Amino acid sequence: MSDEDREVDGKPDQPTPLRGPDEGVPPHPEGKRPSVAADITALATGLKTTLGEFFSPAVTLEYPEDKSPRSERYRGRHYLRRYENGLERCIGCELCAAACPVGCILVIAAENTDENRVSPGERYAKTYEINMLRCIFCGYCEDACPVQAIVLGPEYELSDTSREKFIYTKEKLLEPLPPDVQARLDSKGPK
Amino acid sequence: MAVATDQVTLQVDGVSVTVPKGTLILDAAKKLGIDIPIFCSHPKMEPVAVCRMCLIEVEKMPKLQPACAIPVAEGMVVRTLTDKVKQYQQGVLEFLLINHPLDCPICDKGGECPLQDQTFQYGPGASRYDFQKAHFDKAVPLSDKIVLDRERCILCWRCTRFTEEISGERELALIKRGVHTIIGTFNDEPAQSVYQGNWTEICPVGALTSRQYRFISRPWDLDRTPSVCPGCAMGCNIQIDSRHNKIGRFQSRENLEVDDGWLCDQGRYSFPYFQRDQEFGSPSIRRDGQLAAVSYPEAVAEAAARLQRAGSSAAGWASPGATNEELFLFQRLFRETLKSPHLDHRQQGIHETDPEDIGLPIADIERCDHVVVLGGQEVIDAAPVLHLRLHKSQRHGVAVHRVDEVKAGLAAVPAEATVVGVLATAARRADAITLQNQLVSKVKGSVRRLIVVRGPNGRGAKDLGILPHLGPGYAVLNGRAGRPRAEWPKAGIRALYIYDASPLQEFGATEAELDWLRSLDTVIVQRFKPSVLDEYAHVVLPGRAFPEKDGTMTSMEGRVQRIATGIDAAHVWDDWRILQAVANAMGAGWPYRTSESIFADLAKAVPAYAAAAPAQGRVLWGER
Ligand code: SF4
Ligand code: SF4
Ligand code: SF4
Ligand code: SF4
Repeated sequence: MSDEDREVDGKPDQPTPLRGPDEGVPPHPEGKRPSVAADITALATGLKTTLGEFFSPAVTLEYPEDKSPRSERYRGRHYLRRYENGLERCIGCELCAAACPVGCILVIAAENTDENRVSPGERYAKTYEINMLRCIFCGYCEDACPVQAIVLGPEYELSDTSREKFIYTKEKLLEPLPPDVQARLDSKGPK
Repeated sequence: MAVATDQVTLQVDGVSVTVPKGTLILDAAKKLGIDIPIFCSHPKMEPVAVCRMCLIEVEKMPKLQPACAIPVAEGMVVRTLTDKVKQYQQGVLEFLLINHPLDCPICDKGGECPLQDQTFQYGPGASRYDFQKAHFDKAVPLSDKIVLDRERCILCWRCTRFTEEISGERELALIKRGVHTIIGTFNDEPAQSVYQGNWTEICPVGALTSRQYRFISRPWDLDRTPSVCPGCAMGCNIQIDSRHNKIGRFQSRENLEVDDGWLCDQGRYSFPYFQRDQEFGSPSIRRDGQLAAVSYPEAVAEAAARLQRAGSSAAGWASPGATNEELFLFQRLFRETLKSPHLDHRQQGIHETDPEDIGLPIADIERCDHVVVLGGQEVIDAAPVLHLRLHKSQRHGVAVHRVDEVKAGLAAVPAEATVVGVLATAARRADAITLQNQLVSKVKGSVRRLIVVRGPNGRGAKDLGILPHLGPGYAVLNGRAGRPRAEWPKAGIRALYIYDASPLQEFGATEAELDWLRSLDTVIVQRFKPSVLDEYAHVVLPGRAFPEKDGTMTSMEGRVQRIATGIDAAHVWDDWRILQAVANAMGAGWPYRTSESIFADLAKAVPAYAAAAPAQGRVLWGER
């Protein structure tokens, strides 16, 4: 707003009060005169709501003892998956890192050798890190992955005591998936 | 009535364009900014039209025509966007992808792959091919530098044509027929060429990839810095591709005047020499026979005190891998601050030098009618990319004579030759001049020479007077000349300052010199990586590698080219800063804060550099 708008004819433009200081209480609208019966009815209506809620089942949970169920598609912390034979799925292609809108994934690839076979094929991720402080849990990494190696699991309680601990390394990400997530992926996802 | 000229006017997608006769439709369209997709066509090679990606419609021609192989004609009407063209482009790509593995996620070409890009732009969205793809072994080593993935090869023949047309080595060939065709070397023997890195750059897919760069990075993660190859004096332009402050690879950066877009493997794969893969020690001083780590100011003070004691009996050797700015300061440190004339940049031998050595610019080789390569392979080994220029010239009709003897060179060039070039290494400069003089009296045309010096800045070291007998700009030092390196052990030298700037052009001490080093009061070594010289040093001053600094380098043809900092090494002092600190500790009072400010003074001292550097052109010594 420019200065001209705020001041008209040299007077500051202030909102008009709804009621002037000496206008008193306005009269009741036509037909609504105060009565004791009406007051009791109003009280009863209020109590009915209160008591009704008091005896109906609670919708809140006793978190953290109780937890609400989460959708199958809930996007919590990441996991890196393995094949049944124990080899890592991740092929170190860096496509998750390329898709990540905040750039919180670091992948450094290396070549598999017969002595040191980490994943099937030629390439594996020597370093795989996610900075969970930056992650916005958008799930793009999961979408981008050509081998369904990175998935977002159901955990959301990720608080920790130092910033360093939020850099999830390969060891942490390779922890076994919760059984329900594993079962879901096994039933639906490509093998 | 059309006038007969060597210009042709045609229409591409309804826009007219006039181009010289003989231009290919592809290039005429490019002039209008119309992109025709290609795989096999390459601007430096003859068209073969094998990939069929560039098919376009030409009016009055019944079938689609390959734009990469058909020269333009007057009044031609070309259409590149019709439904028929689109249908063919989709068809060609669908065929190419039938046996292509599409393993882009693990392919080193992914992200800079013409097949990927063109499939996105012109290809069908999905494949209709449900059968088994053809399978070959993955990642077959073709040599210690290259791996070949035959599944990815789309048989564009670019690599085979390179070995035939560009390098002339004919190392790669197409083997078998039809769907069984593969690329390979004779009898599967390892490839020997020193130009293999170029195959990986021209291959339009990830079939030929570098072993050194294998899985190092994705192209979009690379930081790219323009620079100049540290390998030899040729001065090929490179791009330093780095990731996380580590060099990933050197790529070519086309400069038609110098490298014509190519690099040799010697330079391309030299980067591990310049990689700071660990810390290379702090400045140190020898105390009680042991090198003790100290700070830069302490080491500099110690070096200055020792040099000052030696005064004019100090000698300085600087590597021809250092930048012009550093060499200029090095030269001033000795001639002005220490008043010592004992400077050198050469290893063994005393090679004379003068500006006539750059008489024949590299690109002019193509414009000669006879070129004598005195020493043959020796010259090529000293500057390998020179061979590609010679081969190109030869294909265009230049007579190239590879000879060992002056006599043979003289006999090879006929008297009616008009433009003659002589190439030789610095070691055979005297012979080259003899040959040049004899040729001048024999042939009717001009004769010019180009001397291949040692080191990427060997020319700069000579221009700036890192020589005992010549000052900056080949200034004659009347009676004040110093002694060359070969004579130092017997010249009463008391202190030696070795500036070993590049691991590729080292001091390279002989046994006798090592004995001499041991007997010296003072040996100061300024170097990038720890070297054998550290053992003899009283003061060690760690400096930077060439990707970590900026400045200019002068190639063997006198071209002043800029290198830029691609790798951050802020914790290590810049080499010019060390040199300046040593000089200032002796009261020199130099005020430089950047390498540009040093160059400004350099250009004042050697005016020929003032014009050459901004345009990255050649130094012209005419007005000397
Ligand atoms: S969920 Fe999104 S923000 Fe988090 S790592 Fe994956 S792509 Fe990046
Ligand atoms: S997690 Fe998937 S997308 Fe990321 S590097 Fe591994 S394979 Fe590639
Ligand atoms: S050559 Fe190109 S298209 Fe083929 S796998 Fe490699 S990146 Fe993908
Ligand atoms: S290896 Fe590459 S350059 Fe050679 S034919 Fe195959 S695709 Fe073409």
